[in-house]
Amino acid sequence: MNRLRLWLLAVGGAGLAALLVAACLDLPGFGGRRHPYGDRAVQASLARHTANTISSVNFDQRAYDTLGEMSILFAAVLGCVVLLRQARDEHRDRPEPAEVARPVRRYALLVLPVALVTGLYVVAHGQLSPGGGFQGGVVAATALHLLYLGADYGALERVRPLGVYETSDAVAVCAYLVLGLASVLAGTAFLANTLLPYGTFNTLSSGGTVPLLNAAIGMEVASAVVVLLAHFLDQAVEIEEEQGS
Amino acid sequence: MHHLIPLLVAVPLLGAALLVATGRVLPRIAAEITGFVVSGGTAALAVVLLLNSEPPMVEWIGGWLPVGGESVGILVVGDGPALGMATAVSLLTLAALAYAWRYFDEPLGGHSGAFTALMLVFQGAMCGFAIAGDLFNAFVFFELMSVVAYALTGYRIDEAKAVQGALTFGVVNSLGAYAMLMGIALLYARTGELAMTKIGRGLDATGHGGPDALVLASFVLVLTGLLVKAAAVPFHFWLPDAHAVAPTPVCMLLSGVMVELGAYGVWRVYGTVFAGPGGIPAADLTRALVTLGTLTAAIGAVMCWYQRHIKRLLAYSTVAHTGLFLVGLGILTPEGDDGVALYILGHAGVKAALFACAGVLLDRFGSVDEHALHGQARRLRATGVMFAVGALGLAGLPPFGTALGKSVTEEAVGGPLTLVFVAASAITAGAVLRVTARVFLGLGPRPEDAEYETSGSDEEPETSGLLSRIPDTMTTVPAVLLAAAFAAGVAPGFGAVVARSVNEAGSGGAHVFVHWTLTGVLLGVASSVLAVALAGLAVTRPGWTAAPGWAAPLRRLQSGHVGDYVAWLLMGATVLGALALPGVLGS
Repeated sequence: MNRLRLWLLAVGGAGLAALLVAACLDLPGFGGRRHPYGDRAVQASLARHTANTISSVNFDQRAYDTLGEMSILFAAVLGCVVLLRQARDEHRDRPEPAEVARPVRRYALLVLPVALVTGLYVVAHGQLSPGGGFQGGVVAATALHLLYLGADYGALERVRPLGVYETSDAVAVCAYLVLGLASVLAGTAFLANTLLPYGTFNTLSSGGTVPLLNAAIGMEVASAVVVLLAHFLDQAVEIEEEQGS
Repeated sequence: MHHLIPLLVAVPLLGAALLVATGRVLPRIAAEITGFVVSGGTAALAVVLLLNSEPPMVEWIGGWLPVGGESVGILVVGDGPALGMATAVSLLTLAALAYAWRYFDEPLGGHSGAFTALMLVFQGAMCGFAIAGDLFNAFVFFELMSVVAYALTGYRIDEAKAVQGALTFGVVNSLGAYAMLMGIALLYARTGELAMTKIGRGLDATGHGGPDALVLASFVLVLTGLLVKAAAVPFHFWLPDAHAVAPTPVCMLLSGVMVELGAYGVWRVYGTVFAGPGGIPAADLTRALVTLGTLTAAIGAVMCWYQRHIKRLLAYSTVAHTGLFLVGLGILTPEGDDGVALYILGHAGVKAALFACAGVLLDRFGSVDEHALHGQARRLRATGVMFAVGALGLAGLPPFGTALGKSVTEEAVGGPLTLVFVAASAITAGAVLRVTARVFLGLGPRPEDAEYETSGSDEEPETSGLLSRIPDTMTTVPAVLLAAAFAAGVAPGFGAVVARSVNEAGSGGAHVFVHWTLTGVLLGVASSVLAVALAGLAVTRPGWTAAPGWAAPLRRLQSGHVGDYVAWLLMGATVLGALALPGVLGS
């Protein structure tokens, strides 16, 4: 079986590699001037007063893809909650308070608020500057985990009531969907960015529904990452397998 | 009306999000009722849209209507096949939720709605994939339905087998998804477009001398992703491992519609992206799909016959039938497409009903082992009758919907391929009938155990403890599903309606009349008789069912080792490339 596997891997891998190399030779040259989609996307983004074209693509032009991606994260979190639940042959142990080196503790506590604010800033300015809900959400969620490094697991658990984060994850998904459905109720297409004024270009309140969808994503991603990490950390720190089973 | 198409995705997702948001305070019964309402509401919406899908609808999400033929938005299609699949998905989800009424034992501390929510996301994802008219968007929903399916497969975490099956499923399907994404990237590099129709036109505009290596590679990569989902040989190894361990209501969806969505995706993507002069020539697609489809049908049927684990047996019969679907789609005729559409609808009802019956055995006896259960289920008369009726539906006994679809497809493929259809359906149905005879009737001697088999004994029931009495929902749901599969063949004009909507969407409006023919009926009867004869022989001469020497290596290929499956996936992509190569070289 081992030899068969190696043969398959060799032949299949070589064939696929040859195909990919041949395909890459047919790719358009690097750095050309023809960007049909890019040109259209920039135009559409400027027409709706969204300074960050990427956000316009994410939350306006292709907001429906973002809905799918957000749902993937939501489903992944829900899947982890289900799969990483406490099994019958496991029990919970309180983690021991751990000794943390002083410089690490000081540094972590110093950086925590900075990281948190940075995350929120990146979310809030998604429609203007690079970044947005996805990136800022991850930064904000990981900032909380500096407490685990700087203090211990118990401290992290105190600032992280899981139920609240699970609920806010789901509420954010609801918010995104409700914003999309609102335009259907208004008689236009799903997720149409026509409900709100587009505002002044390059200000916080520009871009119509883009900042709102962006904020919903930020909230979803931040809560989802907290819940995901919590369940994996629980597996590593708290949940123990029963002895002798 | 067309503004409502994306609601097929939004409504189930909203339902799932609400269930999770309120999961900590909601009693279980409220969560399950919410699930019914949301999934039933979506099903009703799908039916209404389907009734209005002539002429086919298109919806630009966000109102990004094309200006000068160009749009930056995403389109979803509301034609017969798309909405038909969405309807099938929604109705089957509703059936699975009804079957799972108060099903699992522990309501997962504080997450009473988690299972229902996952099922709703699954429904929304499959609907989203069905209506996708944008290739990247199709990939997004492909991923979403995969992610939910992994979680649902591994739901019973206390069983190592379930976790292992879900892991295999996850690794193989994720690799398929990456292949698909890479293919989409290549197509985007060439055409600068993501909408399927626009990519197709872009390929035709740029590929003056016919397809080149880039087109071939993108075709191979995109099809690899879809064929992994469709469980075509040699991408199929994940399916029996996952379907044997997934909770029964999930199996109903996995085998009933998710796998078929892979075949649907092949039809949609080839027809809109690669069918033009700049794409892959028809002869190459036919060679690739008919070869892989025939192999899939043959291997699926053989492996199905030599299983004693009833859920694995049913899983392999799904593999065999997707092989038949791929053959029918591969010949690229309007009749073939119509036949497969009907076949898929009938098969969804029959296969889901069979899984539902297998679930009854599992929860009543804690075993799905054909040998251990020999004669045990004599008193489950209703389930036994449904199992037998389902087997005959699988064989394509007229007037089941499966029989109508099979006979139309058989006439479309013609020649020796007809034999593949008759043989594969007869062998898989024969295996199910054999199980019926042994388990529900106790016929024949108890077969001897062979070495190294996945037996299906010592399984954990999915309900809280073994059931002493089968709840009505677990009998009603398969009965309704079988009735639906029966009605699909009998309802006057149903076949014609399906055929018209499929042809309007994909065959350039060619009008084909789909109806019962004498040959088709005779072939259907022949498969059923053959199935009964095979089952009879197997029960009276058990030595006959013992796997012969040549089948042993075939069975050893299903090693359960993820590495093997990945190697086969690479091999499959290479084979697919080789099968489609002549058209590229010749242009």
